[in-house]
Amino acid sequence: MIEARDISVAIGGKRIVSHVDFAARPGQVSAIVGPNGSGKTTLLKALTGELAYTGTVTLNSRDLSAMRPVEAATLRAVLPQSTALSFPFTVREIVRLGLIGGRSGALPGEDARLPERALARVDLDGFAGRFYQELSGGEQQRVQLARVLCQVWAPVLEGRPRYLFLDEPVSSLDVKHQLIIMNIARDFARRGGGVVAILHDLNLTAMYADRIFVLHGGQLAASGSPQEVLNDHLIERVFDCRLKVGALPAGSVPFVLPQSAA
Amino acid sequence: MAEQSFAGTAGRAMTADGDRSARARLVVLLLCVMLALSVFLSLTSGASDASAVRVIRDWFTGAVPADAALAARDQLIVYDIRMPRVLLGVLIGAALAVCGGVMQGLFRNPLADPGLIGVSAGSSLGAVAIIVLGTTWLAPVTLALGTLALPLAAFFGGLAVTLLLYAIATRQGRTSVATMLLAGIAISALAMALTGVLIFMADDRQLRDLTFWQLGSLAGATWPKIGTVGPVIVLALSAMPFLSRGLNALALGEATAGHLGIPVQRLKYTAIVGVSAAVGASVAVSGGIGFIGIVVPHVLRLAIGPDNRYLLPASALLGASLLLLADAVARTIVAPAELPIGIVTAVAGAPFFLWILLRKRGVIDL
Repeated sequence: MIEARDISVAIGGKRIVSHVDFAARPGQVSAIVGPNGSGKTTLLKALTGELAYTGTVTLNSRDLSAMRPVEAATLRAVLPQSTALSFPFTVREIVRLGLIGGRSGALPGEDARLPERALARVDLDGFAGRFYQELSGGEQQRVQLARVLCQVWAPVLEGRPRYLFLDEPVSSLDVKHQLIIMNIARDFARRGGGVVAILHDLNLTAMYADRIFVLHGGQLAASGSPQEVLNDHLIERVFDCRLKVGALPAGSVPFVLPQSAA
Repeated sequence: MAEQSFAGTAGRAMTADGDRSARARLVVLLLCVMLALSVFLSLTSGASDASAVRVIRDWFTGAVPADAALAARDQLIVYDIRMPRVLLGVLIGAALAVCGGVMQGLFRNPLADPGLIGVSAGSSLGAVAIIVLGTTWLAPVTLALGTLALPLAAFFGGLAVTLLLYAIATRQGRTSVATMLLAGIAISALAMALTGVLIFMADDRQLRDLTFWQLGSLAGATWPKIGTVGPVIVLALSAMPFLSRGLNALALGEATAGHLGIPVQRLKYTAIVGVSAAVGASVAVSGGIGFIGIVVPHVLRLAIGPDNRYLLPASALLGASLLLLADAVARTIVAPAELPIGIVTAVAGAPFFLWILLRKRGVIDL
């Protein structure tokens, strides 16, 4: 379990996140949502130890700030919003970097083939020999996800759950790949791991999240199941947008929901 | 990022499954052969007609040469002039190329180079200070440290510049390459100005030493000098293979490297101290030899990719070979006089550097 209490983060004297409590259970997908600039990424960076914070963060009841990098790396993998490279790595070389510090948890002898298997999972079969810089933004994001999956291939290692932190994993993807990636996240949780994901698409959030944390102005505006959290009142208050949850568009305006996926 | 520039390298550098490690191992092997050939060429060529082959054969077989005087002269030339020079060339070529590769990995930029961003200028300042002030103001230092004074001064000069650069260019864990390059220019200018003041203070004898040394040369190679700087360079270079995995992860950014389990701060400090030591030691004996550190890793990245586990050893081998070849040119092209080797590497390296810039105009994100 990931538990964070009373997290505050200030950058350059400005407080971006204040007094947020957060918990992500193994076996669940926990989504962080909120408008631009509400502190989602900053909160995620505090939870992964990338930014200095006040308050406490624990991973499986151990204090994050007391962990060595390699210990944290065996417990959780982190997917950033985007990753630019200055050297011409092949896709396989990038994915293989996921095996560098932590422990994949795959069976002995399987690590050598993990990059190909991870690429197949994110629908990039046959991309191993391509250059990372030649790929589109959405493909690059899926390569990075394959790298992250290699790092924590087994959602549970030696009886302890492991975690995926995903910062907007689907924001640059087409709808087919949004579903593929969200299914990977849900599958990781079903097999005993925990997933923390920043999401923008409220429909995908409602479909895949077990718990939603809504940030607004750096503070926790609401948390709970999709049914508890996603209501007209909250969306108007947090997103400053008068939308009706569950309302159908008038007349013949077409609409496509991910929930309709067969 | 402009994709088309990298597409140009694609045909040559790619294998079907994206795994270039087999090719990299082959290249490392070929570079070993190239280095052996370069060493042989350097030992056998030179202004004098001394036959290194005969000297070495006599040494192995214990044969007594017919003309004792000639044999003694040849022996002197091979053992005391060419051999230390070749060994120094190998050490310094390897050091410069590996330090270039490590700097590029550290700053995540293919243009970072100890010479370019002022580390060498800082080392030069330290060394010149000892040469010029060693008998006056800094006499206590030279007395206390003896022959180590010069390499140590060069080391601390380089270290000071590297730390200063890092502090200036890094904000909240991100190192800005534009700031680094520009700050490097400013710090270089400052270090060179101070060096200029020292040169102004130097007497005629010191001046001649300084001029030749500043252009870069292996001519001063002696066994005692190798005894002083050799261990420093060997020690610094032997730390570098332990950094290669971390530097690979660093290509994804400092934060991601940390998430992958790399102790990023320790990696950075080890790399900076190692580079300063190796560059400082190199500059202390051979002056400023430019462009090896930028050309060698770049060529190798085209051939075997950016994986530092292969790139760093391959850089050491190719750097050593190229410096030996440049030195062979430097001491034969105007024989019996010789050209400072820094001129040879600059004449070959500067156009190459411009070529990289032109090819990557869209890619290098300042």
